[in-house]
Amino acid sequence: MRKPDPSTRIAVTGAGIICSIGRNKAEVWQSIRESRAGIGELTRFPGETFPTTIAAEVEPEVEPMLPVAAREAKRLSRTDRLAVIAAAEALRQANDGTATAPLPLERAIVSTGSSTGGLLEGEDYYFRRLVRGRRRAPASRVLQQPTSGPSDAVAQVFRLGGGVISNATACASAGAAIGMAADYLRSRHADVAVAGGSDALCRLTYSGFNVLQAVDPEPCSPFGAERKGITLGEGAAYLILERWDDAIARGATILAELCGYGASCDAHHPTAPAEDGRGAETAMRGALCEGGVGAEAIDYVNAHGTGTMLNDSAETKAIMAAVGSATPVSSSKSYFGHTLGASGAIEAVISVLALQEQLAPPTLRLQKPADDCTLDYIPHTPRPMRMTNVLSNTFGFGGSNVSILFRRAET
Amino acid sequence: MSRIAVTGIGVVAPGAIGVEAFRELLAAGRSAVGPVDRFDTSGLGAHQAALIRDFKPRDFIAPMKLRRMNTLSRYAVAAAKLALQDCDAAGTPLPDDTGVALGTSFGPVQTSVDYMQEYVEKGAALAPPQLFAESVANAPGSHIAIEHGFRGFNVTVTQRESSALAAAMYAASQLAKGSARAALTGGVEEVNEMIFSVLDRIGALARGEHQEARPFDRCRSGMVIGEGAAALVLDTQTAAKYGYLSGFGIARDTTATISDWGDDHRAAAAAMRAAIEDAELTPGDVDAIYASANSTRKADRLEWRAIEALFGDDAPPVVATKSYFGEYAAGGALQLVAALLAVADQTLHASPGFEAGEDGMRIEVVRARRPAALRHVLVNSLSAGGGIVCAVVSREAA
Repeated sequence: MRKPDPSTRIAVTGAGIICSIGRNKAEVWQSIRESRAGIGELTRFPGETFPTTIAAEVEPEVEPMLPVAAREAKRLSRTDRLAVIAAAEALRQANDGTATAPLPLERAIVSTGSSTGGLLEGEDYYFRRLVRGRRRAPASRVLQQPTSGPSDAVAQVFRLGGGVISNATACASAGAAIGMAADYLRSRHADVAVAGGSDALCRLTYSGFNVLQAVDPEPCSPFGAERKGITLGEGAAYLILERWDDAIARGATILAELCGYGASCDAHHPTAPAEDGRGAETAMRGALCEGGVGAEAIDYVNAHGTGTMLNDSAETKAIMAAVGSATPVSSSKSYFGHTLGASGAIEAVISVLALQEQLAPPTLRLQKPADDCTLDYIPHTPRPMRMTNVLSNTFGFGGSNVSILFRRAET
Repeated sequence: MSRIAVTGIGVVAPGAIGVEAFRELLAAGRSAVGPVDRFDTSGLGAHQAALIRDFKPRDFIAPMKLRRMNTLSRYAVAAAKLALQDCDAAGTPLPDDTGVALGTSFGPVQTSVDYMQEYVEKGAALAPPQLFAESVANAPGSHIAIEHGFRGFNVTVTQRESSALAAAMYAASQLAKGSARAALTGGVEEVNEMIFSVLDRIGALARGEHQEARPFDRCRSGMVIGEGAAALVLDTQTAAKYGYLSGFGIARDTTATISDWGDDHRAAAAAMRAAIEDAELTPGDVDAIYASANSTRKADRLEWRAIEALFGDDAPPVVATKSYFGEYAAGGALQLVAALLAVADQTLHASPGFEAGEDGMRIEVVRARRPAALRHVLVNSLSAGGGIVCAVVSREAA
């Protein structure tokens, strides 16, 4: 098979995002600038009792934002809907502005990471069956349960003909989905990629992270001495990726370059990261290697930074080993929580915006860093700074790690 | 251009544990489809599936570890172990940076159901954490990495019927790129009551008089589903034991809805052509096709029309394997294993359940096993939702 050609440059020509701090890039960046987190009381599951009661929710009714008829929208899960909203923004941007030719949608693949898919709707079905028995529960709502749902939904709504791939690698899903898509452009298995991730809050994940005692009862405090775990969030984001020369030929505005990615596995534990951060370090080194840059070239790391004891100290060690201890690092999860399978895409969009705006998002609520978290985490307020190369980290259950290297578009 | 060697295969299949048993199942033309006894199917239209029987997880996994693994993880870890045993005789141990790419169509639905059962009975705060840890689709791939110390890429792909082929495409692409020397790929699936009953209620499963899978047959009435796991060891520095993965193509039928097949056969033809070109071949080089055909009215018609559109009157013989082990079996990986065995053994397998095609169908569906000179075999996977992945499996390294 044709191998992904490392000399083929990948351009980011569109980005779309929806999460608890905004319904599009403009709203999200406004919140970032104003250090305004989107974390509040959990309202999604009235009547359910959980040990913790906060979340980073997107508004309950997202249907009005969907670019599809109500009849079609009814068939989509909430995760699908979030995906379609973010993909619509990304596709619009890729075709707007200076572009003189539209994206060739017939050769566009969709590559989506999702860990829950239509589980929220699946839960409704389980509940009804447990109470009423099989024959009375409507099956139509669980048809979109597989994690392949969002890719299929985006492909169908926008009539994309290049293929569909879905990644269900837990919280590393979207990072893997974006890396995979870049490789398929480099190997010319596709000409355009709509690559991202989507995950809606659901009872199983909300309850599950609670029983693992991995949820902070207060808004999460990544890298903080008092951190107690994650804040669960939801959302979706997509990037439009094209080969650099194709994007130039089309007259598209290039937002950033995707220079490479690295992927690894801790091979350590089903849910806990390796304490020495070795797997994460390997992923970051892989991204540097593929991007052809040294550690000193990295200006900012958008960390996975979940707010759990284990992740933040292991990731700190990994960053020190792979990039050094002088590079500023922050966790955008302090704004919009851990969006699980979508996090790699949401934080990739944040990284691209940071490069465009030359403004590094901060780690909110970092009153006192933990003793083993000794880096510059950009506390409280965004920092204007010159950035050329940015790493975006995404790790997940099962010890899967992905790190993506973005570079500022030449102007 | 790279051809990626398949140096070991492990199978936990309906009717066959181990690649030799699977080889015999295919050689005998024996379907592993039978009545469902795992759960109650009364009130449903379908009552048949290809289920794993006689699988003893303790033969493969230590008791302490077994408690941490759901059924999917057990199938996958056992298949991986069998695959590594299968290639150990032939090659050197795999390096630490070995990658893992698995496919699963539905993933751990049963674990989610079990979790929600506990959630309802005990409350959201008291459901067992162990079930939650296993409710992520990549748990099987993670267990394989832990078991064997594989620290390379580790991803789990879910793309309905095409999941395992999409995973194999990624693994092959990473080896071609040089991210790792070796990888373990394949798929895993579990048949459970919820998936079965939902597929039955939307009319996707074979029912009525013809409950068996009858791919491409004029009397086909829907799919029969299957389960299990298959693992393939891919290696760039060792000669193949079975054959080589030499090309992949991917496309999507834009006439498809989110959960059904469309009716434009050109996309499937384009994916087949793309896979053939990726292998630097032409359609005339393809000696056989291991079809996606899953016995649904729509998908099978789409596929034979696509084959005829691409190959014209010179279409190579077509083998339909899903009547042996069902749709979704091992996330779609058993079909790929069957094609590799065909290349290794220079044998075309029979297509059980096929008697006569519908009017107008010109392709030859192989009815009885026969020896054949097979240089390159095309493997198709057309999934609901319109996604298509095709692969070319070759006998020689170049």
